[in-house]
Amino acid sequence: MSSRTKVTEKSVGAVSKAVGSVWSRAFTSNSEWPDKEEFLDVIYWSRQALGIIIGLVWGLIPLKGFIALLLFVLVNAGLIYIYFTNFQSIDEEEYGGAWELTKEGFMTSFAGFLVTWIIIYSGLHFE
Amino acid sequence: MWADTLLILFISICTALLGEGLTWLMVYRTEKYQKLKAEVERQSKRLEKRKEAHGDSLDKQHKKKIEREEEKLKNNNRDLSLVKMKSMFAIGFAFTALLSMFNSIFDGRVVARLPFVPISWIQGLSHRNLPGEDYTECSFIFLYILCTMSIRQNIQKMLGFAPSRTASKQSGSIFGPPPQQFK
Repeated sequence: MSSRTKVTEKSVGAVSKAVGSVWSRAFTSNSEWPDKEEFLDVIYWSRQALGIIIGLVWGLIPLKGFIALLLFVLVNAGLIYIYFTNFQSIDEEEYGGAWELTKEGFMTSFAGFLVTWIIIYSGLHFE
Repeated sequence: MWADTLLILFISICTALLGEGLTWLMVYRTEKYQKLKAEVERQSKRLEKRKEAHGDSLDKQHKKKIEREEEKLKNNNRDLSLVKMKSMFAIGFAFTALLSMFNSIFDGRVVARLPFVPISWIQGLSHRNLPGEDYTECSFIFLYILCTMSIRQNIQKMLGFAPSRTASKQSGSIFGPPPQQFK
C-alpha cells in the first residue's frame, strides 16, 4: 500500500502536499481531490464504517424485518449522496455519474451491516 | 448465542487472512504476476485516457488503434487470471474441506437469530440442516458467508491486493460487461 501512496504522491506532486492529508480533507468541506482514486477510497471506507454503525444501531433498537433493510439502503445511499454532493460538492460526472459513486463498496457495506445487525440482535435479545 | 456468533466471526477472519496469505505465497509475490499486473494497470490507464481524449468523434485510424490496445489488454487480463487460477483451485479445495469440517461441527445448531425472514431462495441457505419451520433461525453457513463477504474484500483492500478500479472498469467483471458497450 505504501508503494501505491508514493506513486500517487509523485503523480499528483506538489498539489497533494499543499491540500493536506486524506483524513483532513475527508472531513473538510469542499476539499480538492486531484486524485480520483483517493476520493473513491474515502467513499469506500466511510461506507464500510457507516454499514457497521447502522448495524449496531439497528441491533440495539432493535429494528426488524424488511423495513429495516430498506431503511439501511436509504440511509446508506442518502448519507453518502449528501456527503459528496453537498459537503464535498464534487462534480459527479468526473466519476461517471452519481450512480457509480452510490455503487462504490455498497455490497461489502451491506454484508458488514447484516453481520453486525444479526450479531447484536441475536446476542442481546436471545439467550 | 454470543459465543457461537463471535466464534464464526473469528473463524471467517482467520480463513480470510489464511486465504490471502496463501495467495500471496503462491501468486502475489511472484515476479510474473507483478509484471502482468503492472502491465494491465498501465494499459488500462492509457486506454481510458485515450478514450477520454477522443470522445465520440472517432475517426477510423483512432478506432483501430483503440481496438488493438483493447485486444492487448484482453490478452494480458487472460494471462493474469490464468496465473491466479491454479492457486485459486488449490485454495478452493483446501477451503471446501475446512468448510465441511466446520459444517459438521455446527450441524443442526442455531447460531444466530435473524431480525428478518429471508426470501424463499435464501431460506435454503439460512435454514440449512436446521429442524423446524422458524425461518428466523440462522445456520452456520449463512453467517459464515456473510462474514466472509464483508471481511475478505476489506482485507484485500487494506493489504492492497484488490484489483485497481481502472483495471476492473476496463476489463469488465462477472457482474456486467465493460461499460463502453452501452455507449
